[in-house]
Parts: sequence; structure tokens; C-alpha cells
Amino acid sequence: MSDTKALRDLTDEEFAARYHADRFTAGVLGNRMRYVVDHMCAGLLNNAFSSILRDWYDFGATIAGPPEQDYQMSTVSNSLAVFLGTMGDAVRNTIEEYGPDEVEEGDIIIANDPYRVGNHVNDMCFIRPVFHEGRIITFVTIRAHQLDMGGVVPAGFSATKRNSYENGLVISPMRLYVKDKPVRSTFNLIFDNARMAALLYPDMKSIYQALLLAERLILESVARYGVDAYLGAISYTCDASAEAMSTALRESIPDGVYEAEEGIDADGVDDSITYQLKIRIAKHGDRVEVDLSGTSEQARTSVNATALDAKTAIAVGIKMLIDQTTPFNSGSFRNIDVVVPPGTICSATPPDGCVFLYWESTMPVLQAVYRALSKVLGVNAVGGDYGSLMLHNANGVTEDGTPWTTVAECGGEHGPWGATKAGDGDSYMVAQLINNIDPATEAIEANSPVVVLRKEYAADTSGAGENRGGASVRRDTLYLRDAEHWSSPLHTKKPSGVGAYGGRDGVAQACWMFTPESFDIAQTQDLLGTGPEVYAASQPIAGVLDPETKVLDPAGEYHYFASTPIWRTSPRTIFRYQTGGGGGWGDPLDRDPERVKRDVRDEYLTIEGAYRDYGVRVVGSPLTHPEELTVDTEATERRRAEMRAAR
Amino acid sequence: MTMIGVDVGGTFTDVVAIEGGEIRTIKVATEARTEEGVIAGAREAGVENATVFNHASTHGLNAVITRKLPKIAFLTTLGHRDILDAGRTWRPAEALTDAHWRRPYGDAARPLVARYLRRGIRERITADGGILIPLDEDQARAELEVLRRCEVEGVAICLINSYVSAHHEERLRDLVHEVLGPVPCSISSEVSPLAKEFARSSTTVIDVFMRIIYDGYTSRLDAGLRAEGFTGQLNYANCAAQLVSADIAVEHPYEIVFAGPAAGTMASAYFGSLIDTPNLLCADVGGTSCDISLVTDGAPSVDTTFELEHDLIVNALSNEIVSIGAGGGSLVTVSPAGELLVGPGSAGSVPGPACYGRGGTQPTTTDTMLLMGIIDPDGFAGGRMQLDPDLARRAFQDLDSPLSFDQRVNYAFRVGVNNVAEGLFNVAVKHGIDPRDYSLLAFGAAGPMLLPATLGLVHAKEVVVPPHPGLFSALGLVSSDQVYGDSRSAYTILEPGAAESIEKVYAQMEDRLKQRFGDRGGDAKFVRTFDALLMGQSWETPFVTIPDGPITADTVHQMIANFHDVYQQRTGNRFEALPVQGVTYRVEAVFPAAKVEYPKLPARDSGGPESSRELEIRYLTDEPLVALEYQRVDLRAGDELAGPAVVREPLSTTFVPPGHHLTVGTYGELHIRLGGTP
Repeated sequence: MSDTKALRDLTDEEFAARYHADRFTAGVLGNRMRYVVDHMCAGLLNNAFSSILRDWYDFGATIAGPPEQDYQMSTVSNSLAVFLGTMGDAVRNTIEEYGPDEVEEGDIIIANDPYRVGNHVNDMCFIRPVFHEGRIITFVTIRAHQLDMGGVVPAGFSATKRNSYENGLVISPMRLYVKDKPVRSTFNLIFDNARMAALLYPDMKSIYQALLLAERLILESVARYGVDAYLGAISYTCDASAEAMSTALRESIPDGVYEAEEGIDADGVDDSITYQLKIRIAKHGDRVEVDLSGTSEQARTSVNATALDAKTAIAVGIKMLIDQTTPFNSGSFRNIDVVVPPGTICSATPPDGCVFLYWESTMPVLQAVYRALSKVLGVNAVGGDYGSLMLHNANGVTEDGTPWTTVAECGGEHGPWGATKAGDGDSYMVAQLINNIDPATEAIEANSPVVVLRKEYAADTSGAGENRGGASVRRDTLYLRDAEHWSSPLHTKKPSGVGAYGGRDGVAQACWMFTPESFDIAQTQDLLGTGPEVYAASQPIAGVLDPETKVLDPAGEYHYFASTPIWRTSPRTIFRYQTGGGGGWGDPLDRDPERVKRDVRDEYLTIEGAYRDYGVRVVGSPLTHPEELTVDTEATERRRAEMRAAR
Repeated sequence: MTMIGVDVGGTFTDVVAIEGGEIRTIKVATEARTEEGVIAGAREAGVENATVFNHASTHGLNAVITRKLPKIAFLTTLGHRDILDAGRTWRPAEALTDAHWRRPYGDAARPLVARYLRRGIRERITADGGILIPLDEDQARAELEVLRRCEVEGVAICLINSYVSAHHEERLRDLVHEVLGPVPCSISSEVSPLAKEFARSSTTVIDVFMRIIYDGYTSRLDAGLRAEGFTGQLNYANCAAQLVSADIAVEHPYEIVFAGPAAGTMASAYFGSLIDTPNLLCADVGGTSCDISLVTDGAPSVDTTFELEHDLIVNALSNEIVSIGAGGGSLVTVSPAGELLVGPGSAGSVPGPACYGRGGTQPTTTDTMLLMGIIDPDGFAGGRMQLDPDLARRAFQDLDSPLSFDQRVNYAFRVGVNNVAEGLFNVAVKHGIDPRDYSLLAFGAAGPMLLPATLGLVHAKEVVVPPHPGLFSALGLVSSDQVYGDSRSAYTILEPGAAESIEKVYAQMEDRLKQRFGDRGGDAKFVRTFDALLMGQSWETPFVTIPDGPITADTVHQMIANFHDVYQQRTGNRFEALPVQGVTYRVEAVFPAAKVEYPKLPARDSGGPESSRELEIRYLTDEPLVALEYQRVDLRAGDELAGPAVVREPLSTTFVPPGHHLTVGTYGELHIRLGGTP
């Protein structure tokens, strides 16, 4: 903004001079842009073939201004948060490289290089220039996950790829459509290098149709309100979000410097390196500088993220904390400066800084923002979520030789959120940087020879607090056939569920395997138990565990997730995943004993856990007489006084 | 011969009584004991002469929304008790960057069944119906003992993969009755044997709640009506506003939980058929929301599920309704950037709009319309309520806004209209229809006031205001047939060899339905459809048709062809190379029922309509406009008027904006089109 006068204080004349529209028209056009983006998404969702688009919302849609407005992104879809911040740069970088003067009416330009456009190679950008009377007035863009983009691992999801050559096909900005006709050579380039081309094609057609719809809707609005008002509304929409962020920064965070560290256990080569993420947040007035200097060098396998992804996680993290409801757009970044040296796990460079599971590096960025600001935000601080997807992929063949595969549904993909001032955390959520529909157990079992035996919350795992975090999710999956498994629990060394405002951290994550020799369901006719005695017979996959009992123990020994890169198992093997617990909010000793009693009744806490973590003495038998529990008030007061005194 | 339809809302119970060609409408207060208000309305409507009494109830819905629910237990497979807390996991788009969001029905917010009453039973059935772990009856009895001590009033049972094999659920229900006695107990394999455990669980839980709530309610209502001399048939409307005999409805009461909103769509579809207007965008604008639905070629757009809250799914066919926060009570507010907003928040009925004088200080759309001169302060809600323009004026003055007073009212009107227009446009784009082929049907008390002004934005053919717009929804209850349906999931790759197993699924459902309606069945004609997907997809394409007659290898080929046709029609793509997997099979039997007859309005011999007075419409343009006011009761078929004009009737006001004209149709309906002269 050229001057600092608040938007609401502008006179009608000043407003019209700046935005070439009255307030009503600018507001209507801003709304219309949100609708247009929604329609692009709906058009894609209703027609998408691949379930990764449909159920994981693994796409984003945006409207951006023309080159002379520096491509500012006025509107972005509420699909996946990991796309919110990369889309604006993706459009600018792609068109600037391609040459804005070379772009013609009827083009679709594509690009997918993570180092240029963020995210990973499967997330292809499809950019449509919209022309009005011979000049570009806007770009409409869809970025959508393609099922396969070549590379050494089918579908791509792996922590073990070592460079951009193994990773998949990189497409520099080029045309997919010219004058609204498909470009044969571009389609062939993709189809010759990617698997499952027959399934990619229908999604690409749907994307093209959705872009045409957006173009038509925008041109209708331009016809009604005029091109100057339309362009003015793009600026206005961005300015409104920038102003909201500026206000939130000024009012919610005291000036100062705040630091935190997070990490990733290891990469896919070996466990010789623990990767550190350092964050330094310097806030002054209505601006903030977030510096990731000191963060570890890029990993040797595909767990890295690009700087654009780190930038996204920072902005989303700050919004989650202080400005939840303003629509996200280019303006959201205006008062946030990001500093990150090249070649770190959050700013990887080609060809060796391979980028695929980028969220495993940016989810710690989000946690680090929470951790750094936890103390100064007071009641507005937010407990961390489960922090890592712990992806599990497996495949094999059925009795008649038909291949089956399960991708990202039988590990620790879903888990708890942290507590906030709004209340306890939910226990079964999608990580805050993403969003999806969880596949039903019955759908998983109808498609693959697996049995999801348990998908249930574990007691005494949530971060304690006046409001407690969500509980860890314990998921046991029984594999009925011979199978190969890739497992990626990357954050077991420290809990991800950061406590806030005096709340405690949740427990760390871990994963175990039980062969039929150690536990055979055919023989026991029962589920694998949940007590501490069951783990000694297991093969740990990942986690910091007691050397003898193999239960979670922060002082125990680390088990490296890729010690065996591919686990090959015989029938009736069980994998148990336990996600991290959500962070607590507020002092646990301030939690109303009645709420603690209710948690014991509901088995979120055991009687012992209630005493240890909350100082509340609950009396009774929760399993058999859940409504007859009582609180021993005297013992509780005594215990709480002791705990306070011991601080 | 009288037909009575009753629509129970949160504040008012609407009663329509149809006798010969006469439609009488009665509004009574909804009582704390709902049946008392309903019976009072029935008495006033002359229930002793009625042949049918059709009832849409929000009783159960309100119980869910307010969580005033009976204490029930949920039994599921050991290891899966948290199905009901987790839902399908996703959060709504507006919560994408909101760390404070909580799942509305989760344990951290307001669970339907507390976790300690959700208990795992040791047993496990696999996806092919095999038994991995047999039902452990001793463990089940021990769990039921716990529930007995907790004195639960009902039990919902949903075991994993029970849509394939019901055996364990049936046995477990026996054990429930053995230990707990004759408490209501629903099993998912009977309630809704569809794959995907969360929706089946939530549907079964809702079913148990509704059984407890509606069992007592129905018997009290029935007794009350009989005491008033009623001898006819008592029906409930289901979520698609089709009628179901009360005794059958209470067997599957989850199907009637969401009937109220659906009735408006059914009223629209039926009225559209009378005036030869089969394509309708229907807008029911009440106090808090604008409910938009779609009728194409005379048929409402139907969903296979609906949500009571975000992601709280019930597996019942329901008229697809998109609700936006734009009604008469929608609040006018100012954003931090100084933008004037209307809705989605609402003043509700308490305190209500500022002009009600009940303590509301924020302006609403009703205040806007009052200040503009569109609403008559002396004639609101049939003259039962006096509105105070000074309070409306003060509310607008008190807004912390950079706009002038005139601009505030003008923007509030235009933003309110624009919100409704965008909502309508959105539904049109989502369904890929061209609004120019559709008429906007405007009803609900505030519909006729707002909808005509959207014509220039939506580009629909016209706005139609039906007779009795304020009570039009209730007319949907005397506009539909009796329909009985069932559905069942069975994942089957469609190939000739599958014919026999598919036929068996249908035959079982049809036998069960025949038992349900017994001698009422007669020669019921069953209509079969199915939902299927292309291998690799995770969602189904619903309502694919099947040729008549038993299913043979040829029929299966036809089913596959029909699937590809429907898929192409809905998505524009055709993938014949991919196998088709049948997922859910559906069957429906339809019994025609008597419907409302709308009286025809005579035309005038000579002359035209007389205006009752001149009005001043303010804030719409720089200078006030002079508009003529008409009473709807004075209009005759074929009458024409030019905007700006206002047409008044007891429960509603129609605003014809400048540049629009109005024509009165055969049944007294008002057709409003763009264009200055008729």
C-alpha cells in the first residue's frame, strides 16, 4: 500500500481512486472470485477420476493478477494448506520464465519442478491466461496431484529417493494447449515417462474444463463491472488480507525475538544424521522476520522441502495462531519476511536435495512456529498436532495373482490435534497443513487383503493441560498375504505435540511389527493387547523404546525406520502404529477434577495417569462401573499442592 | 373430505387443510410438548373430516441439534469404538487454517454417545463375510452388564463388515434383550446395510434416538388425533418429502428426521408440474437462511445421504438442499476493512431484527426492507406485529461504518440480494445447468421480497411466486406419493456371472418390503437402481437404472452400458475399458396418493388491478421512487403490472423492482420478468 491509511478510513473518492470501484463493487467482485475458485474445485472434484484428488483434496486453485500487478494472488481455494503459499510464486515464476509476452490466448502452460514452483513433481500446475481485449488481465491456475510422474518408485511416495533423477519427470514451463488445442508433444512427454497414463488423461481433461469454466465466469464479471474494477478488486482483496495480518501481528505478538528447534529423526540412507530445524522469529511493530538459518543441510533422500514450502508453513502457522478467518492470499505474506539459506532440509536444491515427502520437513516448521511463540501468545497459544503422517505403503498379490496395494491408509496418517483455549483437542484429525476424507476401514478391507484390527485412542498419551491434547491413535493392521512394506515414521525422537500456555507435550510416536511367531491371531482368537507386556516380542520399526520391554521411553534407544528399507512379511503379520499425542493447553493442575474424572470414565486417562499428570485421585473401577467413579478431594488437594511446591 | 399437512418448525407449526378446491392455512405456536401444538392446529383445521394427516416433524432434528437426547449405548467391533468420534475426519473449508476448530459431534465438543457408552465387542468378520474372531458371548454379556448398570434407554449396534454378514449383529441383539430387557435396539445390517462403517454407525445411532423419541410421540399424537375424531391415515414425510405410513415410518425413523426442509422442494416440483414449468431453482427464504434446491424435468435433485451437522451423515435419500445464511433476520455488519456484510449470522426470533423492538440493536435485512418502504410497518406477519422504523434507523446509524446512511441501507439491500443471487448461481454452476432454462420459485416469508431483484444477476427465465408463499413448504406434504424404499451394499464386479447374486440381493429387499406393507402392497411396482464405480475410484455414481424383469447375463451387460451412459452424462467422460463395480443396490415401490388441488383464479372481464395506495421506495436510487401497492387478493389471472410495485398478502410481500414487470398466472401465481413493460 502506498500510504498507511486504513482501508475503512478511506473516503469514497480515495477508495475509488485506488481501486477503480466503489466499496460495494470491490466487495462483490472479491466474493465472486472466491466463488469462481470454488467452482473450479467443484468442477474438478465432481469429475476427478483419481481418488487422491477426490478424497485428499490434493489440488489447489487460484486467481492471480496480470504481470503488471506482479501476479498477486487474490484468491486461493480452501483445499490443502500446503498449496496456499506456493501457488502465488508458482504462477509468477512459471510465467516470468516462459515470458509474459510469449503467452497467447488459448494457452495452458504447465510446470512441476519443485525448486521453481514448490510442493513435489506430481503436483502439476496448469496455468490459464485470461485475455480481455488483447491483454492478459488474470491467470487462473489449478495445481493437482498426478497419480504418477515417473521416477524409481511407483506413485512416488517414498523417503528413499536420492536425487531429482530418481524422483520423477521435471517439466519446465511449457504449453499443454495452444489455441485450445492439445499439444501432442507435451502430452506424449508426460505419457512416455509416467505410469498409469490412461488414468492421468481423464484428470487432465477435467482440469482443462475447470479452467475454461473459471475463464468464462471471470469474463462475465468483467463484462458486468468493467476491467478496471476487476483489477482493482484483485488489489483490494490482497490489501484487505494484508491489513488483517498486519493488525494481528501488531496486536497479538509482543515485540521481541523468539526461537525454537524441531527435527527429523533421519533420512532414508542411514541414521547417522539427525536433522535439526532452527527457527528465529523477530517481531517488531506490524512486521515479522522468520529466519531458518542454522537448519541442517539438506537430507540425502526425498524428505526435503523447498523454500516455497517452508514459506507456506510459516505463514499458515502464523495464521493458525493469530488470524484464523481472513481469506489467505498474497497479502497474507506482505508483512512476513522469510530468511532461509539455500541447501537446507527446508530449502533443498537440485539435483541432490531430493524433494518428495516435503510435509515431513514443513510440519516441523509449523510446530517450531507454535513452539517459539508458545510463551508469548498467552491464552492464544495453540498445542501442536501429531506432526508426521507416518506413511505406510504395502503391496503384494492375491491368491489368483492380482496385484493389490495400500497407500497411506494403514500407518499413522491421522492423529490428534493439540488443545487450545477453545477446548480439548480432537484425537482423530488430519494434520493441520492438510485435509482429507479418511478411507473407511470397510473400503480398505474390500480393496486389499488386510484387516484393520484396531483404530482406537490410547490412554495416557495426550499432552496434559487445563485443556488436554487429543489422544494418540493406535492402529493395528493384519496382513493376510505375503507383503512388502515401506514405513516412514520420521519424528519419533521428540514429541511433535507441543504443549502451550503451560500445557505439556503429548507422547512421541512409534511403530512395531508383530510376526505370527510373536502373536498369532488365528491361535489367540483375540486382538493384540494394549498393555506394556505385549511389546517385548515385537520387531520395532521406529521409535525411542525401552531396550527390554520395547515400550515408549524417552530415555530409551532409537530404532531407525529404514533399518530394513523394505519389510517383507509372511501372512498374519501385524503392524502397530501409534501416533504422537496432541499438545496440552494451560496448567494441568488447573483442570477441573470433574473433567479429569470424566476422562478416566472415558478411558482417555487411567486412574494412575490422572494422579501422575493431573494430581487428581479418582476412586473406582472405570471399566466396569464407569458412572460410579468419585474424586477424593482431600487427596487431590494434597497431591496438587505437592506438585505445585515441587516446581 | 379434507387433507391435512402439518410442518412443525422451531417457532411455528404450519397447518394446511385442503378441502375441495379450498386451501386453508393455519399457523400456531410450536409447543414444548410438540404434539399439543400439532393437535391444536389439527382441531382448528377440522381433523374429524380428514382422510389423511401428513406430518413433517423437526422434533427429532431439534433433539439432535440441542443434544436433548436419550442415553443410549453404541456397540461395535472391539478396537473400533472411536468410529463415532472420528467421523470421516475432514474439516470444513472455512476451518482450514483454524487450530481452534473442533468436530461438532466429537468427544472434545458435544458427542452423541459418550465414549464410556461406546463399547467394543470381541468378534471380527472379514470383508468376504468370513469369521476371523467368533462372537465372544461371555465378553458381550459382561459389557452389557456395564450398560445395564448405567441404565441406558437404547442400544445401537454396528459391527465392522456387517453389511456383508449380519449374523453377529443379530445374535448380539438377542443378548442385548436378554440382559437389558426390551429396550429399543437397532442393528446396522437392518437399518442401513451399506458399506463404510461411519455412515452406517451414525445412521444406526440416529435411528435408535428417533425410535425412542418418535415411539412415544407417535402414540401420543395418534391418540390425540383420534380423540379429536380423526379416522383417516396418519403419514410421515421422509427426507425426500415422500409419504410413509406412520406405523411403517416408526420402524425406520431415521428416514423422517430431516423432512421439513425437503417438503418445500416437493411443493415446488408439484406446483411446477401444474403450471407447465418443469425446471425450477427453488428458494425458500425464511428468517435465518435461504434454502436452495433444484427441480429438473419435474424431479427434485436427490442425494443418497444428508448431514445433520458437518460430516454427521445419515444414509437416507433426501432432497438436495443448499442452505446459505441469507434470510430476513440476517445481520448487517461491517468488516475490519470497512466492507458492509449481510449474514451469515442471524438475529433469530430473539432478539430478532431491531425494528421488532425486542432488544435487537443490530440491523437486519428486515430492517433494510422496512426503511426502504417495501415492508409495511403496520401489516407485518398478518398485522399481528407492529414494526418500529425508528429502531431500524437507529441500528443503521449505530453501525461503525465509513459509509453514509443512505449508502448503508442501499448497500445492505444490494449485498443481501447479491448473496442470494450468488447462492442460486452457485447451485446452477455446480449442477452444470443454464439458469436461462430455469424459473426461480420464490417462497418462505422473505422469498418474494428478495428474489425478483436477483433476476438481473442470475439470468433465470423468471421468478414465480406461488400461492401462499409463507406456508408453501407445508403444501409439499399434500403434493407427493407414498414411497417405500430399501438399499443394500454388495461389492460386485459387474460381469455376466454376477447376475444371480445381484438378483438375490434385489429379491431379498423386495420380499422384505412386501412384508412391511402387507396387504397394502397390492400390485406394487418395484423400481430398481444401483450405485456403482469404476475400479480404482473411491466414490460411487448413484441411481443408475436397470431394465425391468429378473436380472440375467443380458441385464448385467445393460447395467454396465447404463453405467457408462450415466457416467458420461454426469462427468463428460467415458471409460469403457475399465471394469464397473456395483456397490449399492436400491429398490423403491410407489403408491400414488391424493394431492392438493390449487383453485384456478378467474380472469377479469374488463379493466385492470386497482392499486391500494402509492408508496415511496427509498434508498434504492438517489431520489425516492414512487411505487404502486397492490393487495394480492385483488389480483386476477392475466393481470399485469409494471415495477416498481409491491404486492401484499398477509404473510408475505412481493417486491417488483423497477425495470421488471409482473403477470398473474392461472392459479394466481405471480410471474415476474425483466423488462419494463409486459
